[in-house]
Amino acid sequence: MLIPELKRAKLDRVILICVLLFCLFSLLAVYSATHSSESPAIRENFNKQMIWIGAGLVVFYLVARIPPVVFYSSCYSLYAILVFMLLIMDVFGIIAGGSRRWFEIAGIRIQPSEFMKPVLVMTLAHFLSVETHSPNRLRYLLIVFGLALAPFALVIQQPDLGTSLVYLAVLIPMLYWRGIDPFIIFVLAAPAVTFFASFNLISFFIVILLITAVLYLSGRRKSVFIGVFLVNIAVGLLSPVMWNRLHAYQQQRVLTFLGLVSDPQGTGYQIIQSKVAIGSGGLLGKGLLHGTQTQLRFLPAQHTDFIFSVLAEEWGLLGSLAVLLTFFIFLQRTIKIASSANHRFASLLCIGLMSMLAFQIIVNIGMTMGVAPVAGVPLPYISYGGSAMLTNMLVAGMICNVANQ
Amino acid sequence: MSYTVYNKNVVVGVLAALFLALALQLVNLQVLQRSRYLAHSNQNRMRRLRLEAPRGILYDRNGVILVENRPSYSVSAVPSETKNNPQVLNLLGQLLSEPGEKLCERLSEAGNPYLAVKLKRNVEYPLLVRLEERKLDLPGVTYEVETRRVYPTGIKAPHLFGYIGEISKAELERRRKEGLIPGDLVGKTGLEKMYDQDLRGRPGYDFIEVDVIGREVRDIIDVGESQPLRGKDFYLTIDARLQMLGDSLLYGKRGAIVMMDCRDGGVLAICSKPDYDPEIFTGTLSNETWKALVNDPGKPLFDRVTQSTYPPGSTFKMVAVAAALDENKCSPGYTVSCHGGITIGGSTFNCWYGAGHGGLNMMDALKVSCNTYFYQLGLLIGVDAWATAAKQLGFGRRTGIDLPSEEPGVLPDRDYLDRVFGVKGWSNGMMLNLAIGQGDLLVTPLQMARFAMMIANRGWCYRPHMVHKLYDPARHQYYKQQIARESAAITARSFEVIHEGMYRVVNAVGGTGRASRLEEVQVCGKTGTAQNPHGEPHAWFVGFAPAQNPEVALCVLLENAGGGGANSAPLAGMMFKRYFAHQKMPAIKKTAPDSQTIALR
Repeated sequence: MLIPELKRAKLDRVILICVLLFCLFSLLAVYSATHSSESPAIRENFNKQMIWIGAGLVVFYLVARIPPVVFYSSCYSLYAILVFMLLIMDVFGIIAGGSRRWFEIAGIRIQPSEFMKPVLVMTLAHFLSVETHSPNRLRYLLIVFGLALAPFALVIQQPDLGTSLVYLAVLIPMLYWRGIDPFIIFVLAAPAVTFFASFNLISFFIVILLITAVLYLSGRRKSVFIGVFLVNIAVGLLSPVMWNRLHAYQQQRVLTFLGLVSDPQGTGYQIIQSKVAIGSGGLLGKGLLHGTQTQLRFLPAQHTDFIFSVLAEEWGLLGSLAVLLTFFIFLQRTIKIASSANHRFASLLCIGLMSMLAFQIIVNIGMTMGVAPVAGVPLPYISYGGSAMLTNMLVAGMICNVANQ
Repeated sequence: MSYTVYNKNVVVGVLAALFLALALQLVNLQVLQRSRYLAHSNQNRMRRLRLEAPRGILYDRNGVILVENRPSYSVSAVPSETKNNPQVLNLLGQLLSEPGEKLCERLSEAGNPYLAVKLKRNVEYPLLVRLEERKLDLPGVTYEVETRRVYPTGIKAPHLFGYIGEISKAELERRRKEGLIPGDLVGKTGLEKMYDQDLRGRPGYDFIEVDVIGREVRDIIDVGESQPLRGKDFYLTIDARLQMLGDSLLYGKRGAIVMMDCRDGGVLAICSKPDYDPEIFTGTLSNETWKALVNDPGKPLFDRVTQSTYPPGSTFKMVAVAAALDENKCSPGYTVSCHGGITIGGSTFNCWYGAGHGGLNMMDALKVSCNTYFYQLGLLIGVDAWATAAKQLGFGRRTGIDLPSEEPGVLPDRDYLDRVFGVKGWSNGMMLNLAIGQGDLLVTPLQMARFAMMIANRGWCYRPHMVHKLYDPARHQYYKQQIARESAAITARSFEVIHEGMYRVVNAVGGTGRASRLEEVQVCGKTGTAQNPHGEPHAWFVGFAPAQNPEVALCVLLENAGGGGANSAPLAGMMFKRYFAHQKMPAIKKTAPDSQTIALR
């Protein structure tokens, strides 16, 4: 077996500084969110997070030194292994918090769906980097969708809505980057819009009208026009049926997000408490370890999904804008690295990883402020969680790796 | 590069737009809506605790404590944290031995879901320990010390003091403006009800910081906390020693004794038997106990002094005397010869003394309580003059005593008789019965005691009342009640005759009230033996003493006990005897000097 020669690690400065800042934010926030807990298991999470960050930094450094050809050649097998793991999850996985997403090996919980995120991006990048695999040809487009939908289907039934949505979220930016015809993106996005619009007759009507207008202006063949039109009508009519197949709690989350139900005791409670935490932080915040919503534990899932609320409450607008800015600089740098990569695989890989992180960041922070649904997406690099921390460090390492070429 | 088919700026632009949206929402929450969320976060963490104010103490006129407070433990729960938590409700229900749904129902009635609602009072200490053990399983459950009414002298006088109990839904609706909340204790009857607002004081508030499961984290200061202000103390006109004697004289009987100071209208003793133990109403009253009380044939819930009405019998004969003399219908020397009854319109009306009293003047007619004499006198004066005098002497209306639910009784006058029997349906013959205190006439023992006081004072009296003065702890001052003086438009001459007659009742040979005679003081009185549809006659005695410069007046009533002279007069004598014995003894304890007292109200 060929052992590839490790490159000399020359880490991208911006990425490195951002990653170190994320680690700092994470340590402070997780400490604040856990130290006042009565449960030793929760307090222990801070120590665990320190270990995960340490391990993550090692992964970050090592991955940055692995030649991209290793990713390029190993991604299909990694993809196959992870799909297999997700398939046997039903038998060997353990249940926590009402969903089955972990394997327990030697006392450490491993979440394959988390590792699937970069592996899927690698796989898609590999497939799309082949010169002949144009996304504007239906055959290749279907394969690309097939690659993403397989893990999506396996993970959404765990159930884990947040993670499974990440698999779909990387698709459109990567296809765009590969040069897909924007009309195809329109054709793909239209049914999603129609789905949400279909719950109200008037909005459904308006959306169908808009779709018809775009179709007319695009000047496509009649068969395409009629086909897309009929698909959207069908989606609008069938969406109530699809809706009823969702889990009750997922329906509840979507409805609460859309403001269609108000349930201060249930799903809405988390959003209310999070908004109260963020809003009461004000400009300068209540000070580290002095956030009342956090320290008195009114904030739900405060060391995991709602970690941003902890930061916003204790550090105020200035602190939370600093966190947002760091994320933006990191992502913007990644786009720059993607655009200057000298190989299509590396470039697509970068943009896919960027989308994967951006989707999670925006959905998570949006959720804490009540402008995105409670989808169960953690905040990359900051939220407590071992598998996610390792995955995200791996991602940062890959980005540096591409930047290093 | 050949593969470059994208526009980098599109991706950066989309990303920047999304981040800008997040930043704007941050500004919106943290700057524009900050105060709203800050208020919400404070409401989350701050819990307002109500510090119960101790209820005012009731003293007797000599400063003896009649009713005071003792600590007892009660269990409360914060509705917002427990109402929707079936595990907590079930566990709590088990511990308190009450169904969880019932607790949930009570929690749902609360106005403010963040303020604890009382679930059980008078909790035994062992139960408290068990609750403390399960504290972690019972988030939102608190217990506090509150006060319970106790009666150190042993005088429970439930009809006088009343009892306190949890506020009812209807009353809560009515008194919400006073700041009352579900589970609050309010006076239900008696003085506790009458003076509830003054007795209850003002609760204080403390603010604590709690965590998400409602456990106290720390005390918060300088946010508007206040100390509770204890209720006003009441110094009653009651003399504990006389009240105790009255209670013991009525032991095992059905009846009432009320004794008043006729110089100021203050009630010295007010006893009604059978009664009940007001402490059964502290804690939760079981349905069976309540049913037993309501269905008791002895009717212990009724205050016989103010709420029960009886025919007054011969004790009402003084009204006829007053009416006759005041209207100049006859002179005190008016003489009637009694042969054991008279016959009018074919019916015979008997005197109680079948052999006949022979010739009697007015004073002697009172002395022997001759019915024949008063039949004649009644016919002579007529309904109008008689009813006018009775009204002047306070009958047919409430005395205005400061006790709830007083009955006015029934005084038949022309209007009444027209209404009941029809305008032509009755005749002057009605007066035969009314003049001897029978017929449709109904009075309360309190009215009779006031009547005795009116006679003792020769035509005036102060309104009967229970409160001598009260102490306001907020101002450190005593307040005295201003008591209305009421007078009857009846000439003093009439009262001289009545005095003489009542003197003879007790002191002259052959008087019906000899059993109340005392060596040390001259007692005046009048007995009554009132026929009634419920069995044996009611035994009455009204009187005052001393004959010269009267100090006290009283009324004794024993339901269905037989003759007034034999049954009630001895009790009256003992009451008088005790009163005058005490006048020679110093009181047990003097209260603060009266110089501090301010007349008000």
